[in-house]
Amino acid sequence: MYSEILLCIFKEKGIEEGDRIKLTKGSSSFEGMLLPKIGFGDPTCVILKLDNGYNIGVEAISGIQIELVSKKAKKDEEKIHVGRMQGILPKSRISLLGCGGTIASKIEYETGAVKPAISASELVSTFPELAYAAQIDAKQLFSLSSEDMTPEHWSIMAKEAHDAIKAGADGVVLTHGTDTMHYSAAALSFMLRDLSVPVVFTGSQRSSDRGSSDNKMNLFCSFLCAKSDIAQVGICMHATPNDDFCYFHSGVRARKMHTSRRDAFQTIGAQPLALIDYEKETVTPLCENYPKKDRKRQTVLENAVNSNVALIYIHPGIKGELFSSLSKYDGVVVAGTGLGHISSGADGTDKMTKPVIENVKALCDSGIPVVMAPQTIWGRIDMNVYTTGRKLMEAGVIGNGCDWTPETALVKLMWVLGKEKDKKKAKGLMETNIAGEITQRSDLL
Amino acid sequence: MKCGIEIHQRLDTGKLFCSCPSTLSESTPARIIERKQHPVSSETGGVDTAVLFEAQKDRTFTYLVPPESACLVECDCEPPHKMNEEALFASLSICTQLGSTPMDEIQIMRKTIIDGSNTSGFQRTALIAIGGSLETSRGKVGIQTVCIEEESAGIVRRSGENTVFRLDRLGMPLIEIATEPVIEGGEHAKETARKIGEMLRIAGCAQRGIGTIRQDLNISVEGGARVEIKGAQELEGIPALVENEAQRQKKLLGIMKEVAKRMGDNPEIPAHFPDVTSVFKETGSLLLKKALQKGERVFGLRLPKHAGLLGIELYAGRRYGSELSDYAKSAGVGGIIHSDEDMVKYGITQAEISVLRTRLGMESTDAFVLAAGEERIARKALLAVWSRALESEIPSETRRALPDGASEYMRPIAGGSRMYPETDVPPIRIGQAELERVKNEVGGRNAEEVKNRINSLLNPELAVQILKSRHLNLFLRLCDEGHDAKLIAITLTKTLTELRREGVELRDANSSLIDLFFLYSEGIFVKGAIPHLLRKMAEGKGCEDAVKELGLLRITGEGLKRIVEEEEGSMAGIMKKYSLLIDADELKEFLRGYKAD
Repeated sequence: MYSEILLCIFKEKGIEEGDRIKLTKGSSSFEGMLLPKIGFGDPTCVILKLDNGYNIGVEAISGIQIELVSKKAKKDEEKIHVGRMQGILPKSRISLLGCGGTIASKIEYETGAVKPAISASELVSTFPELAYAAQIDAKQLFSLSSEDMTPEHWSIMAKEAHDAIKAGADGVVLTHGTDTMHYSAAALSFMLRDLSVPVVFTGSQRSSDRGSSDNKMNLFCSFLCAKSDIAQVGICMHATPNDDFCYFHSGVRARKMHTSRRDAFQTIGAQPLALIDYEKETVTPLCENYPKKDRKRQTVLENAVNSNVALIYIHPGIKGELFSSLSKYDGVVVAGTGLGHISSGADGTDKMTKPVIENVKALCDSGIPVVMAPQTIWGRIDMNVYTTGRKLMEAGVIGNGCDWTPETALVKLMWVLGKEKDKKKAKGLMETNIAGEITQRSDLL
Repeated sequence: MKCGIEIHQRLDTGKLFCSCPSTLSESTPARIIERKQHPVSSETGGVDTAVLFEAQKDRTFTYLVPPESACLVECDCEPPHKMNEEALFASLSICTQLGSTPMDEIQIMRKTIIDGSNTSGFQRTALIAIGGSLETSRGKVGIQTVCIEEESAGIVRRSGENTVFRLDRLGMPLIEIATEPVIEGGEHAKETARKIGEMLRIAGCAQRGIGTIRQDLNISVEGGARVEIKGAQELEGIPALVENEAQRQKKLLGIMKEVAKRMGDNPEIPAHFPDVTSVFKETGSLLLKKALQKGERVFGLRLPKHAGLLGIELYAGRRYGSELSDYAKSAGVGGIIHSDEDMVKYGITQAEISVLRTRLGMESTDAFVLAAGEERIARKALLAVWSRALESEIPSETRRALPDGASEYMRPIAGGSRMYPETDVPPIRIGQAELERVKNEVGGRNAEEVKNRINSLLNPELAVQILKSRHLNLFLRLCDEGHDAKLIAITLTKTLTELRREGVELRDANSSLIDLFFLYSEGIFVKGAIPHLLRKMAEGKGCEDAVKELGLLRITGEGLKRIVEEEEGSMAGIMKKYSLLIDADELKEFLRGYKAD
């Protein structure tokens, strides 16, 4: 925001953002379009867009003259058309649900950074070629950054996807921020039972306002995925740093493994579900036994969720009080070290060791499910190998033998506790494979 | 005629928005990345013509990633880091020399470019100062803007619709100095470019070597258009580029007037590109035969009432037909054949031409253009020719400078709507503290002061040589350290050039020469030993080791006394035997005392 004095001057002179103004400061003068002030710039600097396209900041010190040259003109709409995918009118009906994220981001003057502001239908109009791929029903659910998503948003996404499937969609594509996309994808994997068509999450790592954005390829490949016969919830994103092909990752096994690369998503502990070739427009399944698309199958919606669940990360020096403070939660997921460990003092009487196992036991005793997941991300929990693990199981920690990611364990616990009030049954359900989150074999990948 | 000049000089600092060094790498690329790019709207909603033009080309780009000089930022896989301060402050110090006014708050922008030369689809650039001027023999040339921007990726090769780039050059910092369009002609443009180049070189922040400085020219004549000629690397070529462009625009104006006169009320050119392959089924033309053998086809375009116009010479070696051909080439064909060319040259017979003229429905006053290639590309090429022929004004173009003073069409000139704020990097406030820092810490050498100093230290011939030398910075540094200016100048110009001719190249010239002069000033060896030592050092030896290995330790004191006695005080005799070991001045001094004894 501009300083109050500047805002007063603009008001007094009838100047609004987008107007052409002239600033005279000593012997220099600058003429251009007044731009909104971005959040972290100096509020006393007026931002002008010069005719050559450059933006500059001019400090409005005393003695500066600000004049209105002309009011802003109405901008001409210019449509972009780039040919691709010529062909007959498509038969597939795809429901496109917009949730926000980088894929829908453009500049926001409030902060000068990017924010999700492009609707699902705007996204389709940006890539008119999509119309050749499918008949698209676009609907905007939210315009949220990934980190602002809550478990309650998952319930809405699941309900909307379910509605779209009931209404005859051959597949559902959700555009979503990438940071927490794997949480949402895991949630929908649990919430949509007996899924009849593909439900595909996609997004982009580079914002849509740049020519190199990965949005176009991710979106096209997601449409191909949604039209395929893999009736599963998953994430379709770049498989490599190239614009060549995408992977379709299982919703319960996908994880964002890089802050910024296009190929940030990986399938943890398994092969991706499919490879989607952007050029050839093909979907090649990489797993044999996947649920096939069957429009006759009734997809069941189980979207209740209990968001009162915590996920904590074990680290050297962790304090017992931290566990005590978790007693207000209905469930706790612990990202333990190695095979699934928390300090138990099992090695004897070292004075510096501060075991926290008693605090964990107290939590378990109070009836709160405490679920173990690996902070190594890759690998299976095995609490039988070391004394610590055995002590944890004795204390009541569950999850032994599970090869889920901490995030999937968290989402599952929220879903289980939303569905099952009986703590004992809830624990049983936790340790039962629902959507591929617990496997029996660890392949050498 | 109006002419302005833009100088792009690479700065000798790390890359502008990441922590990679600004060095071109010879190594094998660690990774190869393939990408596509698509057009995007600018901040104010428009799509730039130059951007749309590139998008129509539907190209795939391949990027070679040399491990030591490109990271995830160049790969467009990580957001940019903050702007390199050294580059920014070096540029601000240049602004001070030009008398340009720095911006109070620098806004980093993205200039949309989707020709693949930037992995991100844009070039990061920021306007850092405006105004200022430069003295020239024809008066002051005003400075319009000073920008700091990222260098693009270097092209390795272009094949068909794919272009291969290397990422080592991408992101190197460039200072761009643009003058007002007040330059009076080719020679004046050359002088201005030379002065700016010299100033940057002397300031000490410029990278040296081939390709590190480029001049772009902005030229327009009355009634013509603003044309930007990119990439003039040699100062000598500038006058011809300027004069030829002015001439081209004047001639084109004449041609357009003639077209208007001939076509009268009906300026239509039908956008009809019939397939005329069958005309050349039995052709003897090698060019067409080769195309047909590859399965390509030939398409034609009739240009009504254009007979004779395509052959009009714009300047030596360039005709109106070459202009149309450039447009066709930009669509992906190798060139065109047109009716004002000598058909014998192509091996096309009169009979073929007759059939062709009938097929195209031509009258005697019409001209034709042929393009051969894959159907989609050949038609796209003729569409480009057609739209260029329809222009009723000289199009504003970006052209590429060619070595012979000519230029060729690259793309429509880019407008302001390709600029978009770089949202990943906050603006940079340039307040009093920053300006003080430029003045007190960065300084930057003033061109006039340095020239005066060099002229006072060296004879005119050596002064000119050292000013042009790539080792200018080193010369000034060694002079600052108190070494003998003349000896440094001779070593840096003559000695190093002679050694290079022998094939001797110092790997790290700067540090080797600093060591060399330090040891010389300590009296470790004599002047005459320098070329021998440098030869040894080029093998990777340190200076001290080279002295020991070659046995070139200076003889002085008792040693000198003994030799003088052995040689019975004969200066000539001593120097004949010991010129690489004894300093002549010291010997002379010693002999004076010796003889007096």
